Amino acid sequence: MSNQTGLKQFVAKPARLPTQNEQNIIRRIRSRCFNTIGNSILTIAVVVLAWYVIRAALDWAVFDAVWHASTRRECMNISPDGACWAGVISWFNGLIYGRYPAEQQWRVNLGFILAVMWLFPLSCQKIAYRNFILLSWIALYPFFGAYLFLGGSFRGDIGIVHAVLTCLASGFFILLYTNWLLAVLNKPHLCQMLQPLASRLFNRGSQTLCLLLVWALLSLPVAVVLSQAQLQPVAIERWGGLFLTMIIATFAITMSIPIGVVLALGRQSTLPVIHWLSLLVIELVRAVPLITVLFMAVTLLPIFLPSDVELNKLSQVLFAVCIFAGAYMAENIRGGLQAIPRGQYEAAQSLGLGYGFTMLLIVLPQALRLMIPNIMTSFISILKDTTLVSIIGLFDIMLMARNIANDKDWIGLHTEPIAMISILFFVLCYSMSQYSLNLEKRLKVDRS
Amino acid sequence: MIPSSTQKSRKSPPARSGSNLVGRRSLVAFLNKDSARAGFIQSAVLLLVLLLFLYLFSNAAHNLDRLGMVFGFDFLTTTAGFNISWSLIPYDPGMSYWRVFFVGITNTLVLSAAVILFGTLIGTIVGILRLSHNPLVAQLARCYVEVVRNVPLLIQIIFWFTAVFSALPPPRQGFSFGEVFFLNNRGFYFPAAQSDIPLSWFVIATCAFVFGGWFLRWSSRSGPDARTQKSRAGMAGWGCWAVLLLACVIFLGRSLTWSVPALDGFNLEGGRYIPAAFGAAFVAMTVYRSAAIAETVRAGMQSIDKGQHEAAATIGFSRYQTLRLVLIPQAVRAIIPPLANSWLVAVKDSSLAVAIGFPEIVSVFMQTSINQTGRAIEIISMVMGFYIVVSLSISYLLNRYNAHVQYKAR
Repeated sequence: MSNQTGLKQFVAKPARLPTQNEQNIIRRIRSRCFNTIGNSILTIAVVVLAWYVIRAALDWAVFDAVWHASTRRECMNISPDGACWAGVISWFNGLIYGRYPAEQQWRVNLGFILAVMWLFPLSCQKIAYRNFILLSWIALYPFFGAYLFLGGSFRGDIGIVHAVLTCLASGFFILLYTNWLLAVLNKPHLCQMLQPLASRLFNRGSQTLCLLLVWALLSLPVAVVLSQAQLQPVAIERWGGLFLTMIIATFAITMSIPIGVVLALGRQSTLPVIHWLSLLVIELVRAVPLITVLFMAVTLLPIFLPSDVELNKLSQVLFAVCIFAGAYMAENIRGGLQAIPRGQYEAAQSLGLGYGFTMLLIVLPQALRLMIPNIMTSFISILKDTTLVSIIGLFDIMLMARNIANDKDWIGLHTEPIAMISILFFVLCYSMSQYSLNLEKRLKVDRS
Repeated sequence: MIPSSTQKSRKSPPARSGSNLVGRRSLVAFLNKDSARAGFIQSAVLLLVLLLFLYLFSNAAHNLDRLGMVFGFDFLTTTAGFNISWSLIPYDPGMSYWRVFFVGITNTLVLSAAVILFGTLIGTIVGILRLSHNPLVAQLARCYVEVVRNVPLLIQIIFWFTAVFSALPPPRQGFSFGEVFFLNNRGFYFPAAQSDIPLSWFVIATCAFVFGGWFLRWSSRSGPDARTQKSRAGMAGWGCWAVLLLACVIFLGRSLTWSVPALDGFNLEGGRYIPAAFGAAFVAMTVYRSAAIAETVRAGMQSIDKGQHEAAATIGFSRYQTLRLVLIPQAVRAIIPPLANSWLVAVKDSSLAVAIGFPEIVSVFMQTSINQTGRAIEIISMVMGFYIVVSLSISYLLNRYNAHVQYKAR
């Protein structure tokens, strides 16, 4: 075409090769750290600063530190400028278990191991009644744990209920692991084994009945053992350290979801009374600091409850922390609820589902999943907020760490325990936040 | 909005013969009606809540009776009788509980205002540094944010108090800056101005100058020929303002006497001081808040489209110009709502200073005053009311400002 009009035809030059800068590490450093004078100065300043800070920290914490000593004075004599980790090491059990009697501390370890083990079968896909594992952990483990940590005998009407629930919890745990074992061996689970026998006796609901029967049978030996042997009682006042921190944090985290769901649904409700009540609770709790809610629980609960109700500090604190965490969780969940398209509600309605089923089966699973990153952030802040209970005098890890400085052997030892628990909290919270980032990425892949 | 209770398209029961079924059928229809169900649920919930409150209050009345306590706010006018280690407004033990309340409020507000101011400044800088092209700087900022955010605030406050501020030398060996400023384990001492002119004059003068300056800016803004008018009116106005300020300083300054702190025995006498607890709480909270705000700022900056960076680079803006003229003005819109939330949290977090004995509202009113008077219900509701008022007013102001900076719908 161009030849006919006599115009010069445009011929593109071959494209230049891509620049090689990005492949050479020295060039890359030069282009990003030393491209201008100002940037060079900044780079050098950062390197020098980091060098001094890291070296000072390492000198204090590692090279000049004292690991073996019996008093703080001894530490000072060996190395006046270094950290005195000997004090933290000698108080290590106190930091973990609080004032729990030393010969009973195995119970705390056992309780922790069982709590983790209870959740472990969740990773097994084939196990029967998999949906009930988490539910049973939330509903039954607390009773089992309470018995294990408190010890003593069951007293009064509440004691009988507690005993029954403890037996049921232990029975469920045994059932869970038997089923897990059978699932690994590719055998039918316990209830299926008994099914032929039961269906001969009853013609309706034999499966449920079977489950209850097996559960009860497994709980019976536990009941016999419990009635014979007795654990040494440990008062709640002696609980402390990381153990107590974990109890409060786990309790608040697990309770915050149901409380949050109820409050969020209430706030989204079209019924004015329920809407305004939920809104009032959420906004009032979110407007005040946690410490005032804790003070309120400790001073006002004894006034507003009947005088014959025995309250301990831990239950008051758990109440306050749960309400507080629930109100914050409600706002997260509300965000998720608002993100669900209207079509989902309408589709559920056109299938003839009522309000409860729409929420339970359609809306909440999507909303909760959408909000996982925010929910994890809330969990992290609940864990961090747990340290506040030390202000009202519960011996959690924070107060135990502060108390080391009052021990006559380690008087004035403030920095090292605080550094130690800072590292502990950093590891816990940072791994939680990294896990949530990981989860977020995985869910994004799922959705696309 | 979510449907509260879905209409059930259940078939009405098959009409059998007999007229007595008509009544039952209309009852079923009535029960299945949305409005009837809503009314029933709401009245049931309301009744339950009322019964709960009735129960709680009857318990409270019984318990108060049993313990010989009374309910009422009359205690507020009685003498407090205890000392407060540091207060911004004048206080002595002979004053009433009202005064204690106000001392707590001013201390809380001063602490949180300082934290908000410095936390926002440092947080903005750190947030921008996190986006630096220099990987070392970006990583350093990231380390700062991650370390600070993942350690509970209470631990940080106690760290700064016990390991830094309390570890300073005692007054006799403390640091002295030109024998005028002193820093030791009790706090930071500085000279204070004293005058025979009443304090209210200073307050009035300060207010007049602040509002005068603000009014000048505001009034020189509009007009048909805004640019020239602004510069002329502005110059003249600022000139008058400066002359007035100078006159005031000379006039008021003559009657000022300075009280300089000086060593007297084991302590420093004279001047004013900021206690170590304030310093520790301020530093810890500022650091903590700055890390949270840095994340907010970073998220806001990253929310801006990449095309904006590229467009700015295309017209030859430097990195700093891009930041100042293109990115920050747009990022502000995304940052303000979470920033407002962060400020609210800063006010609430200031209550943690109770752990190191800084006399803020929770410490002086909720702890000491409840122990002294036993009026738990009244005092706790007053403190919560204070926090609720502060929260509501901050969120109201920021909503107003937010509406002002957001894009106007066209």
